[in-house]
Amino acid sequence: MQRFRKKLRALWRRRQLDRDLQDELRFHLEMAAESSAGSNPRQLFGNVTSIGERCRDLWTFARIETWWQDVRYAARTFAKNPGFTAVAIVALALGIGADTAMFTIFDGAISWDMGLDHGERVVVVGGTDAAHTQEFGTSYPDFRDLRARVHSFTGLAAYQFRPVNVSDRSGLPERYYCVRTSANCNTVARQKPLLGRDLTPDDEKPGARAVVLLGHHVWRQRYGSDPAIVGRTIRVDEVPTLVVGVMPAGKRFPEDTDLWTPLIPTTALEKRDNRDLMMYGRLADGVKLTAARTEMDTLMRQLASQFPDTNKGLTPDVEPIATITGVYSMRPLFAVLFGAVGFVLLIACADVANMLLARAAGRAREISIRVAIGAGRMRIVRQLLIESTLLSLAGGLLGWLVAVGGLRWFDAGTGDLVKPPWLNLKLDATAFAYLAAISVATGVLFGLAPALRLAKVDIQGSLKDGGHGTVGGRRSLRLASMLVAFEMALCVMLLAGAGLMIRSTANLYAAPIGMNTAHVLTMRINLPEAKYPAEKDLVRFHELLAARLDALPGVEATAVTSNLPLGSWMSFPYELEGAAPAERLPQLDAIVVAPGYFRVGQVRARRGRLFTEADSTSGAAVTVVNESFAAKTWPGENPLGKRLRLAPNGTAQAWLTVVGVVPDILQNFRHPLEHSPLIYLPFSEAPQRVAYLMARTAVPPATLAQAFRTEVQGLDEGLPVYEVRTLENRIAENHLATSLFGAVCAVFAGVALVLASIGLYSVTAHSVSQRMPEFGIRLAMGGTNGSILRLVFRQSLLPLAIGLLAGLPLAVLVTRLLGAMLAGVPPGDPVTLAAATGVLVLAGVAGSAIPARRAMRVDPAVVLRCE
Amino acid sequence: MGKERSEGTLVQGTLDMLILKTLSRSAMHGYGISQSIQQFSDEVLRVEEGSLYPALHRLELDGVIDSEWGQSENNRRAKFYRLTAAGRKRLSQEAGEWRRLAGAIARVMGTA
Repeated sequence: MQRFRKKLRALWRRRQLDRDLQDELRFHLEMAAESSAGSNPRQLFGNVTSIGERCRDLWTFARIETWWQDVRYAARTFAKNPGFTAVAIVALALGIGADTAMFTIFDGAISWDMGLDHGERVVVVGGTDAAHTQEFGTSYPDFRDLRARVHSFTGLAAYQFRPVNVSDRSGLPERYYCVRTSANCNTVARQKPLLGRDLTPDDEKPGARAVVLLGHHVWRQRYGSDPAIVGRTIRVDEVPTLVVGVMPAGKRFPEDTDLWTPLIPTTALEKRDNRDLMMYGRLADGVKLTAARTEMDTLMRQLASQFPDTNKGLTPDVEPIATITGVYSMRPLFAVLFGAVGFVLLIACADVANMLLARAAGRAREISIRVAIGAGRMRIVRQLLIESTLLSLAGGLLGWLVAVGGLRWFDAGTGDLVKPPWLNLKLDATAFAYLAAISVATGVLFGLAPALRLAKVDIQGSLKDGGHGTVGGRRSLRLASMLVAFEMALCVMLLAGAGLMIRSTANLYAAPIGMNTAHVLTMRINLPEAKYPAEKDLVRFHELLAARLDALPGVEATAVTSNLPLGSWMSFPYELEGAAPAERLPQLDAIVVAPGYFRVGQVRARRGRLFTEADSTSGAAVTVVNESFAAKTWPGENPLGKRLRLAPNGTAQAWLTVVGVVPDILQNFRHPLEHSPLIYLPFSEAPQRVAYLMARTAVPPATLAQAFRTEVQGLDEGLPVYEVRTLENRIAENHLATSLFGAVCAVFAGVALVLASIGLYSVTAHSVSQRMPEFGIRLAMGGTNGSILRLVFRQSLLPLAIGLLAGLPLAVLVTRLLGAMLAGVPPGDPVTLAAATGVLVLAGVAGSAIPARRAMRVDPAVVLRCE
Repeated sequence: MGKERSEGTLVQGTLDMLILKTLSRSAMHGYGISQSIQQFSDEVLRVEEGSLYPALHRLELDGVIDSEWGQSENNRRAKFYRLTAAGRKRLSQEAGEWRRLAGAIARVMGTA
């Protein structure tokens, strides 16, 4: 410590220190000279400068200062070569920046905790039948029994997800996502209200006063963060409800929850076969997931023997909560992208290594001089590594900006659909540490080969050579060619991946939906049970609404429907007329529509007829099926006139007669190119509380949004209209994941292609400049331009060929990882691979054409004179 | 350093001890220290300047000796070194250690 202080003081009096040292040694010399006159004191004394230096070094931070010297020297070298420096820094910035952005996305996607305290201990308890063909929720009685008996959980909670309408004097009626939950929800999740109180067991007793907890954003947006909201009464689905508390910002568990209300058991909920609840719990301290699974298994078996009618064959399914989210399923894709961006970074590294190697040729003399005047090999390697690390740090600094930009782009591109609200896309300290780490690591990675090569320089040779010194000559060229081959192999994999994603996107957009989606406005509507208790109320409301909407100017046709195209379907147990009775009824998929649906979609019947207004007024029991359903159910038969009936909750309804067959319309959003067997049901057959309105318009659809809202609220002023969008917009959003991943891949591949071509260019240019004398002699001896061209291209295209040879089989393997993201094109698709190869070859030829031209234009006389 | 060790040169630790011992008698400049060691050892120990000055500066940085510019006996500006309290402590430690070692060596050599 004392040493450090003295050194620090000496730092400010450096000149004084030098003078004192000189004086001290001079005094000694003089004294020695006087006492031993005759003999040369200098000889006795040895090297005064060296002694002085050694004393001086004691007083300075010698080690740090030589590092600093090296850094300054490196900076000067780069300043002298601005072109090289700029290209290298930009290449590295692209690689490092893209990598950091991707890391942040990947990190956000895998470190999933929903903002939960120890989220990894929270598990979801679901159930399947014995054959694992169907998944079930939990019934309220099962939940109550399990909760009372289970030991491996510190808490077990159940909830129902329920969209609700909120209306009060604070603004327009609004639509919110509400969970009805057991009162221990927040205890299990370990979240506490910011204001007011949590739900209590008293709240969930039958007959208890209706209470609600508000989400922070609801409180802020609707009630202007007014703390007095606690204790006030608002209308939730028309039920006056007391606000008891407000949750803190960002706490929305268990779903993207807006409101929490207690789950009060009703007669319907008390049925053991009404499996409508989601159940989750927190593992007790020290309990392993496997132990919890075993206990839950035992408990469910007890229930099955106790209540065989309802619980026979049900097995529980206990999974960490993270595994059931959408982002979790996207993790392999993030991993693929992370891998892809790693390739880009490697290509950037190889590129810069190549440029350093090429530059090394010109530095042989400089290095030789440094070695000759006493620099050790390690000192040279260190110097060169400092140079490369300096480059990569500069690249990292610029890369930070690239990462910021990249994340903004990703953020804007994904919207809310793909990206859950808790996904953290901020460049935080972790991201910065990652960036710093990869910057230094890449600096060492791409600096090491050139540094070791240069340190081995043959001093004698290169000094005698008069500056033409080649470093390792052929060997360094071979190393450079290998690096380029490596770049090419990575690049062809990226190009193949990007090509497949682009083709998938194109396939998605090119696939006929099965209806005309242009000029269609859509919106959602939810009729609360409190005001519309019976099915006939729902039908009545939509009939009235349809009459109002159809009368609006600019509206050509309207319909209410349970699902939009590419928006899934409803499932019902059903029975075919004449089919053998089954123990458990099969399920069919159906879309519940108003008669106008096919008019809105401009769909024509293939056989038979479509729904008419008469069907709904007469209540005729009819259905329309799609071609897939007809082909699957009645292969080779005429489906018209066949009959089937639905049996929701096990009670069979009236027989429905097939009156028409329509072309398939895409409904499956997970596999957007697959057609599913479907039937269409008149709205009156299975009225839906939550439904979409669709309208074909003669004017731009968006202009009618307000008119629609006015009409809806003209019928019921407490009714919110939400998700008002055009159908095309919804479909584009559905394809967003694929097109976004396609775009990200394409950007990566594009960057990789540019970097790889630069790499090929720089190695070709380097080899051409080294072989100039040879070319000169060849031309002088009567060689033709063509022969020179062949020589250059043979050398430059060889690494390309090797890269392709290695990269193409790898591309076939690697693109398999894209699997689920691909639509209508198999991994390793030969056409895509051929295209990727073509693009790369084209870029390769372009990259070597410029140096080749220079080689052909060489003037033999000039070159030979130089030799 | 690349210098070959000749007869009568000192290993570093020993040199430090000798410098401290010399300075315990009185403050001295570098030249004086080297002369003094040479005299006291009956010209057996010759201190090389290449070792002396780095050793002095290191000891000064360690805080066991202090320096001050003053007038030499022939009226020239010279840098005088002087033992500090820490230096005295170090000297007594090293002297004790040395005595123990020298005695041990003597005993071994005597019984041999």
